[in-house]
Amino acid sequence: MQTDTPAVSTRGLTLSYGDFTALQPLDLDIGRGEIFGFLGHNGAGKTTTIRLLTTLMEPSGGTASVAGCDLAHNRIALRRAIGYLPENVRLYDTLTTRENLRFFAALSRIEDARDRVEEVMEFLGITDLADRRIATFSKGMRQRVGLAQAIVHRPQVLFLDEPTSGLDPMGVRQLREVLERLNGQGMTIFMNTHLLSEVARSCSSIGVLSHGQLVFHDTIETVNARYGSEEALEELYLSVVPDREVAA
Amino acid sequence: MTPSTILRRHALAALARERTIALVAALFAALVLVSAYLGWSATSTVDAIYASATHWFEANGKPVPSNPVTQGSPLALLRNLTIYISLIGAFSAIVIGYRMVETDRRAGVLPLIGARPLERLDYARGKVSALALAVGGLAALAGVVGAATLAILPSVHLGPGDWARLAAFFSLGWLYMMTFGLIAIGASARARSETVGLMVPTVVWLVLTFVWPALTGNILPTAAINPISALAPAPQSTIFDLSAMLLGPFSLAEAYKYLGAELMGYLPDGLPPRGAVPPLVVMMLFAAGSGLYALRGCLKLDMTKGGPDA
Repeated sequence: MQTDTPAVSTRGLTLSYGDFTALQPLDLDIGRGEIFGFLGHNGAGKTTTIRLLTTLMEPSGGTASVAGCDLAHNRIALRRAIGYLPENVRLYDTLTTRENLRFFAALSRIEDARDRVEEVMEFLGITDLADRRIATFSKGMRQRVGLAQAIVHRPQVLFLDEPTSGLDPMGVRQLREVLERLNGQGMTIFMNTHLLSEVARSCSSIGVLSHGQLVFHDTIETVNARYGSEEALEELYLSVVPDREVAA
Repeated sequence: MTPSTILRRHALAALARERTIALVAALFAALVLVSAYLGWSATSTVDAIYASATHWFEANGKPVPSNPVTQGSPLALLRNLTIYISLIGAFSAIVIGYRMVETDRRAGVLPLIGARPLERLDYARGKVSALALAVGGLAALAGVVGAATLAILPSVHLGPGDWARLAAFFSLGWLYMMTFGLIAIGASARARSETVGLMVPTVVWLVLTFVWPALTGNILPTAAINPISALAPAPQSTIFDLSAMLLGPFSLAEAYKYLGAELMGYLPDGLPPRGAVPPLVVMMLFAAGSGLYALRGCLKLDMTKGGPDA
């Protein structure tokens, strides 16, 4: 696997259903080790983009690679290199945290699955939840176990779809700290979000999607230098995203 | 461990935790026991009467006729099993097959599985092999109960050929139940709602069990649940000649009951199979078709969806 290639690279990646285009041809490069914040209104195509990049959906056209693995021709290697936390993550309610994580670790085909599960639970501070069934968990607890399943196989690129959705401020803060630690270990993070404050605090680059089209993409330094404050970031967002929403 | 092995083990463990599955399996086991008891009770009664009659004949110096139990095939005393396998056995397989995919979808974990390094074919293999083992467990349970019943009856003596035919009968039952389980996997994978996923295989099962035999041979539903009356010849009429010819090759339940009766030795003399296609071929074609349906369902499964509102 090449290390000089971008973590995520797309060229003309598109998805259409008949006459409706959910994702306009997307050209995007995200460097390794970045935390990329993907902004956009409801139905802009953010989740669709993540589903395409995680191989859950087939694109109508274009090419893409993640961690140097081609989306069309090297799907298994690509899946080995990614972690995915969907919005409102759900797990097997009847299983315990440890059982859920062991199952997903085994499916990811890592050799030290059992040790790695214990390590990840400790890393995320959920060891005390190990033998409890998921059915009894709050949203924040589920989110942490969901994150654990996403990183249990040491992915190079982590895709997070609205990871702060439904979390209280403490949960948001804890998540941010975890993501910073993961990023510090070299993991690239691709994060869909609505929260401009989170983007301003955590991300190294941002992209804005509007009606399936990428309308802005730059580093956070450039944005800060140009706009200077979170309010200015909000102004930028509102200026590139039309005020009407489309169906998801 | 391969991904399909992991999925198979996980699916079986999940099944074992489900109360619905436990209930259906318990019901199947209970009915198999009832079937075996009925066969054992009837045979024991005849044996007891024969023993009393033998004493009387001997006391009066008359020739002793042979035991009627030993006249027919000893396996025939388990003939009710054919009906229970085609009813509760097939329905159990439908519930198990349906839960195979539905458990993952309802849990909302399909996106997490779909983003893992495995092919959809691995997913299909894992689910189908788990179904095969679960249904195999039901067939084995019926087999053990049946064999134990035959073994404890003093007047019943089975030769190696009988045991082989008994094994073939339960293999046939496994194939029959698998067919419906596979249809359930395919339907639940393709259906947009949980209800439709369960309704499709159930309707197919009801049609094949009760409607089709009525059309091909005037076997009414009440007759279809009796191992002997389900094997009646079709009325002599142009309509039934035509319907037997056209629909007979698709009459899976009749093919199974015919082969079951043949193996267990209670097939009425001279009764032809329904339609021109040999019953075993009908069963094999149905099994292959339902296997392809399940495979296609798993390969086309929408891995983006999950949760109760999916």
